[in-house]
Amino acid sequence: MRDPLKQPMRPIVAAAAALAALAASACSAPAPPRAAAASTAPAGPATLPAPTGGGAVGTTALYLKDTSRPDPWNLDVQARELKVTLWYPAERRDGRRAPYMTPKESELTLKGLGVTGAPYDMLSRTRTNAVKDAEPVGQGLPLVVLSPGFTEPVSTLTSLAEDLASRGYVVAGIDHTYENYATTLSDGRVAECLACDSDTDPGFGAGVVKSRAADVSFVLDRLTSEWDGADLIDRGRIAMVGQSIGGAAALATMVEDSRVRAGIDLDGTTYARIPKKGLSRPFMFVGSPQHASGGLDNSWDRDWRLLTGWKRWLVVSGAEHRSFTDAPLLSDALGVTSPAGVLPGARAAELDRTYVAAFLDLQLKGRRQPVLDGPSARYPEVRFCPATCAQS
Amino acid sequence: MLTVMRTAAAGLAVLLAAGCAAPAPPRSQASAAAGTACARAQAPPEAETATTIDVIGQAYFCILGDYYSGATLDARSLLTAGFAALTREINRHGREVPEAIMPALTGDRKADWAAFASAYRKITDRVPDLRDRLAVVTLEAIVAALGDDHARWTHDLKRPLDYYDGDDYGLGLETNVTGSQMDGDSGVALAPLFVTAVLGGAARAAGLRPGDIVEAVNGSAPFVDGEATPAIGALYPRYPDARPVEVRLLRESTGRRWSVTLKPALYPRDLAALQVVRSKLLDDDVAYVRMTGFSPDSANRVLRAISRLRSGRTLSGVVLDLRGNGGGSPTEANRLLGAFVHGKVTAYQCTAGGACEAGRTDDTVELLGLPLVVLTDRGCASACEHFSSAVKDLHLGRLVGTRTAGAISGPAQAYLLGNNTVLVFPARHHLGPNREVIDRIGVPPDYHVAPTPKDAAAGRDPALARALTLLRE
Repeated sequence: MRDPLKQPMRPIVAAAAALAALAASACSAPAPPRAAAASTAPAGPATLPAPTGGGAVGTTALYLKDTSRPDPWNLDVQARELKVTLWYPAERRDGRRAPYMTPKESELTLKGLGVTGAPYDMLSRTRTNAVKDAEPVGQGLPLVVLSPGFTEPVSTLTSLAEDLASRGYVVAGIDHTYENYATTLSDGRVAECLACDSDTDPGFGAGVVKSRAADVSFVLDRLTSEWDGADLIDRGRIAMVGQSIGGAAALATMVEDSRVRAGIDLDGTTYARIPKKGLSRPFMFVGSPQHASGGLDNSWDRDWRLLTGWKRWLVVSGAEHRSFTDAPLLSDALGVTSPAGVLPGARAAELDRTYVAAFLDLQLKGRRQPVLDGPSARYPEVRFCPATCAQS
Repeated sequence: MLTVMRTAAAGLAVLLAAGCAAPAPPRSQASAAAGTACARAQAPPEAETATTIDVIGQAYFCILGDYYSGATLDARSLLTAGFAALTREINRHGREVPEAIMPALTGDRKADWAAFASAYRKITDRVPDLRDRLAVVTLEAIVAALGDDHARWTHDLKRPLDYYDGDDYGLGLETNVTGSQMDGDSGVALAPLFVTAVLGGAARAAGLRPGDIVEAVNGSAPFVDGEATPAIGALYPRYPDARPVEVRLLRESTGRRWSVTLKPALYPRDLAALQVVRSKLLDDDVAYVRMTGFSPDSANRVLRAISRLRSGRTLSGVVLDLRGNGGGSPTEANRLLGAFVHGKVTAYQCTAGGACEAGRTDDTVELLGLPLVVLTDRGCASACEHFSSAVKDLHLGRLVGTRTAGAISGPAQAYLLGNNTVLVFPARHHLGPNREVIDRIGVPPDYHVAPTPKDAAAGRDPALARALTLLRE
C-alpha cells in the first residue's frame, strides 16, 4: 500500500538515495509505516467500522473483458480483464458477510508489502459489513467509481465503499488488473503486480492514469448491461473517488470522460494534463500535510489553477498517505505500529467518510454541506488550502 | 550507481525523472555513516533552508570522512578551491573585500577549517547581501574540486510548475555530442555535429530530423580545428535557462541550408519510449532488448523479455542495446551478468588505500546459454560500464559501437546536510574485473562502429546490423 513512485520495501543501491529522497517528497506522499520495522503482537482480525448511513449494504463482483484493447501490462493477453466490486443499498441486512479478500490474495498482498507480523491469511479474515450478493434496492441512485492506490486491491477502500452504499450510493470499485499484488480473475487465476516491474520508469504515473481512465470508461459503458441491479443507477449522476494514483486516475478520467461529473483525489500526486481551458466540473483534493500547497510535490498547485469549477483542497493534520484507506483500521491486526502523532484508524475513517460523503451529497444530490464551506469545530484536523495551509 | 550522464534530456528532467522514480535506500545502508559529519540521506528531506558556513563545514568533513579518498586527499585543495570561487563571485558582482585573503593553511584539517571559516565569516559579513549566493558557490566549488563524475551537491531543486511526469526540458533534440561530453566528463567529440534523435519540443516543431548537420550554434562553429567548442553546450540548456538558441542546419540529402531559433521548454516525451526495457524479435531468431538504465527490477525485466521472445522458438542470440544507458544499480548489473556466467567477480569497489570489496555475479539467475552482443556508446555510463567491462573481461559476449562514457568513479552515496540539501559522492572507487580503472577511460568496443549523419538520416543502424552479422557467423 504505497505510493507508486516509492519503493520502501525494495533494496536498491543507495546511490539513488539523494534523488529518491528529493523526489520522494517532490512526487508523492509520505512513506507508509515500515511494516516490518515495528511490530507488536497481532490482535485478532480487524472488524471494519459499521457504515453510518443507516441502510443495509450488499456487495457482488463483476468480471468484465474489454476486447478492444490489449492488456497494458501482460503482453501475452490481448484483452483487458477487470474485476469490478459493487457495493449497493440492499433490502435486508441478514446474510453472509462478504469476505474482504481471499486467503491467497491476503498472502500475496502481505508478502508484497513486506508485512511479516501476522499470519498471511489475516486480511481475508477481516470482518466486513456488506452482505454477499444481497438483493439490491432503490432506484435512480448516484454512482461512485472507486480506484485504489498502486499495488493495492480495491478492498483497501471497503470501509469507505460500505459507508457510501449505506448512504444510498452504488459504488463500483475497480481492481486494475496487474496493478496490485493480487486480484483473482474470473477463471480463478490470480493476477499479480506486473506493473510493479516498471514503476520506476519516467512517465510511469502518466501511463497508469491514462490506462485507468480507459478502464473506468469501459466499466461505465458496460455496467448497465452487465449487472442485474444496473437499473438502480442514475447514469446522469456519476462521480469518481480514488486514493493515491487512484485519485490521480479520478482526475485523469474526468479529463477524458465527461460522464464523470465530479471527483475526489485522496492524497494522490496527479499526472493527467488538464487542458489549458481548464476543467469546470467539481473536484476536491484531500491530502496529508505533504500535499499542502507550496510543498515539494507541486502537482496539486499546478492543477489547482486549471480547476475552474467548484473546488476544494483539504489537508488533514495527522494524516499520512494510507489514512485514506482501510490500512489504519487493519494495522493492529497486522501487528503494524503507526508512528506517533498519526491519526488513529477510527478517526481517520470518520474524517475520510465524512468529507467524501459531504462532497458527493453536495455534487450528486444537491444537498448543502456546511463542512465544505470552511473549517469546522468538529473536525479541527481539516485545513482549507491554499488559503490557510501553505507550508512555511 | 547514480547516473551522471546529462544527455539532451538535460539536468532538470533527468534529475526529476530519476528522482521521482528512485526508491528509498535499503535499510541496511540507511544507518548514519559512523564517525563522520554527515548522515546518509533516507527520509524525504524537509524544505531546504539557506546554505551557511556550518553547512559548508559539514560537507567538508563529510567528504573527508566518507569520500573514498577522503582519508588521504589534501584537504587544502578543497578549501582553496572554495575560497577561489568565493572571491571570484564577489568580483563578479562588481564588489571587493580588502580582507578577502586566503588564510595560511597548515595541513591540519580541523585547524585549517577553523581558519577558513573565520576568514569566510569576516568576508561575508562585509557583503551581507551576497551571503547566500557566496555560500552556494563556495560549496559548489569544494565539491567540484573532487573532480569526480559521481560527486555533486543538489540544492535549490525547483521544477517548473507546469512539469508533468515524463516531461523533459530543453530543445527536444540529441546530437552525436552529448551534454556530458561538453562538460568534459566523457570522451572525445568528433565533427561533424549532427542530430541523432528528435525527442519532441522545439526541435520537432521546427521539423528537425536525424542526420541534420548542425553547422552553427548561436552563430558559433561547433568545431574549430577539430576540437569541440563550448557553443555546443547551448544545445542542452537546463531549467530555468530559457534563452532561445539559434541553430544553422544543413540537410545533406537535399542540400538545404537554413536557420531556426529553438526555445528551451518543457515538452512531453513519448511514454512508450521512456520505458526502461523494451524488446522485440529480429530476423525471427534474435532477441533484441534495449535497456536505458539499470533501475530496480530492470535485470528481471530484460530476462523476462528474452524468455518471452524465446518461448516457442529457438533463438540464435541476444542483442542487448545499452546505448544511452545512464547506469543505475550495480546489483542489477550483477544480476543481469548472472544470466551469462556464474561464480565470477564483475567489479571491485575500493578505498584509496586499496581495500576492495568484490562484486559478484548473481548466481541465482538461470544461465541463458545464448550468444550475446552488447551495443555501447558514449552514453553508456556508470553501472552500464560495470556491465560492459564485465562482458568484455569475462568474455561473455562482444561489444559493438563506440567506447563507453568513462563515468564510473564509484557507487554514489547520498548524504543529507543540515539545511536539507543533499551531497552525493562515492565512498568507494570502481575497478573492473581485472582491477583496471574504467573511470575516465571507458570500455572500448570489440567492433568499432561509429554513427554517421548519413546513417542517421536514412534511419540505418549499422551497429545493430554488425551485431546481427556477428550472431550469424
